[in-house]
This record gives sequence, structure tokens and C-alpha cells, in this order.
Amino acid sequence: MPVRDAINSDPVSDKWEVQLRKGCLELAILAALWGGRRYGLEALRRLESDSDLIVSEGTVYPLLSRLKALGLVQSEWVESDTGHPRKYYALTTAGRQRALEMAAIWARFSSSMSRLLAPLNEEK
Amino acid sequence: MAIAGEAQQKIEAYLNRIRGRLRGLRAEERREILEELRSHLLEKAAAGGMTGAAVDAALESLGRPEELALEYVTDELLARAEVSRSPLRILDSLFRWASLSIVGFFVLLGAITGYFLGVVFLLVAALKPFHPETAGLWASRDASGDLTLSVHLGFGYAPVGGREVLGWWIVPIGLLAGGLLVILTTRFGLWCARLYRASRALPGRG
Repeated sequence: MPVRDAINSDPVSDKWEVQLRKGCLELAILAALWGGRRYGLEALRRLESDSDLIVSEGTVYPLLSRLKALGLVQSEWVESDTGHPRKYYALTTAGRQRALEMAAIWARFSSSMSRLLAPLNEEK
Repeated sequence: MAIAGEAQQKIEAYLNRIRGRLRGLRAEERREILEELRSHLLEKAAAGGMTGAAVDAALESLGRPEELALEYVTDELLARAEVSRSPLRILDSLFRWASLSIVGFFVLLGAITGYFLGVVFLLVAALKPFHPETAGLWASRDASGDLTLSVHLGFGYAPVGGREVLGWWIVPIGLLAGGLLVILTTRFGLWCARLYRASRALPGRG
């Protein structure tokens, strides 16, 4: 798609897209944990397969540890058959609450943006 | 097996570079971070057949160890600050940030200056009642005739040829200025940390 390529090569749009992804990452991680506990790599794979939020792996681990410090997730070590234990994360009650609040804000935000952008999308 | 051994060594070397930069975090915390990253790297490398290329790719996608360590440190600083805005904790985290980057060093320098001045103002306000004649803000002319301002806590003699400027006003002004400086310095440190986090681009290398 030439249009998309043109947009992606523009450094201003690029930067904006990066900021947008970053801003969504916290919600995306909480959402990836919504269905139950997951370990870091598992959550990462879910982010990669269910969204086009291409995430730098190194960003996710410090963020998970920050979410833990804030009490939004809890963690536990579980032995695995791979021979090394995995650190599993699960949402706490506060984390579920926070995810719901963020999802509601997101829904309001994205529907008003969609309304606003409708004329632009019709142009295409 | 030789390949696996080499892969393991590469991973440990990477983790060691991170370990060195997480000094100051609690030992338990540090151990968990390294254990988790090791687990991640081993699993990714194993998925790629534990080849040299697979290990390199796994290391590459985690990013430079210095930057990763820095993210833990700044994230911890911000998380701590949301729980308690104690200047000591903030300085402690800034010290670690300073050991990791030149930007962090200047942020630390600014924070130390801010807190130091803040504490001086608070001290002079607190000591004025005990040293009414000597504590305060003094103006004096130096040898070349230039006017200099200095804060005196009131221990020892009053500056020769100096003139106290604020009198008892130093108490409310010192408390206000000191308090403001401490608050603003804390804000400054956190603002820099947030700015750092916001500026860290998410490279699109998945």
C-alpha cells in the first residue's frame, strides 16, 4: 500500500504513532492479562498476535514490574517443564478495576474520534 | 551441547551487564528481574533451536542492557513516587539514574542543588529564634565593592561589615521558599523521569 508506506516514512507521523502505541501499552497489557494469569513472554505473544501493537520486548518487563509496584498485578513463580521457572502475572482486584476504567475511557475516546474522522475516511 | 553452552554464556554476559546497573534495587527485586529475563531469553532461544542466531535475536529484541536497566530504575522511581514523595527515596533513585546516563547525572545535580537550597532556607528559618542576632540573609560588600548575599545559620559571628536584610521576615520567607524549593525539586525530578519514559521510543522490532 503506497499510501501507508508514505505515511510510515514521514518522521512526524512515525513519532506520533510511537507515542500512540506507548500510551496504549498499559491498557494493552492489562487486557492481555484479563483472561487469566500469563507469564511475560506469553503476554507479549498475545500482544503480537491479537494486536498490531508491535512492542519492544524490553519495554514490557519493566512495565509489568511497575504495574506490580502499583498493586495492579501480582506475580508468582511457577515451575515449568522447560527446566526454568516462569514468572506469572495476574490482575489484582485493583488491576481489574483499573482495566475496566481504562477500557471505558478508551471506548468513549475512540468512538468520538471515529465520528470526527468519518469524513476523512469517506474521502478514500 | 557446545552451542548450548556458548548460548548460555552469552545470556549470562548480557544479564551481568544488567545486574551491574541495578545496584541499589533491593537484592530480592534484582534477583527476580534477572531470573525473569533469563527465563524469557532461554525460552526464546530454545524456540529458535538454541542456535547462536536465535540467542542473538532474543538478546537483540530485549534491547541494550543499559537501556533496559534504566527503564527498571526510572519505572521504579515513578512507582515509588506515586506511593511516597519522600525526597530521600527520589534522590536514591536519581543516584542510580546518574550512574547510568549523563542526562541522569545532570538531573541529579539539579535535584541536589534544589534540595540543598531548600534545606538551607528551612534551617535558617528554624534557627532564627535561637540566633536572633546572627541568623538570616546578610548583604555585604566584598573587597571589590560588589554586593553579595549570603545566608547565615547564625553559628559564630555575624559577618563583619554586613547588614542583615530581612530581619524576622526570614522566618516566614525561609519556610515558604524552603518548602517551595523542596516541592519544586521533587516535581522536577519526577518530570524528568516521565519525560525520559515518554521519549523512549518503542522500536518496531517486536
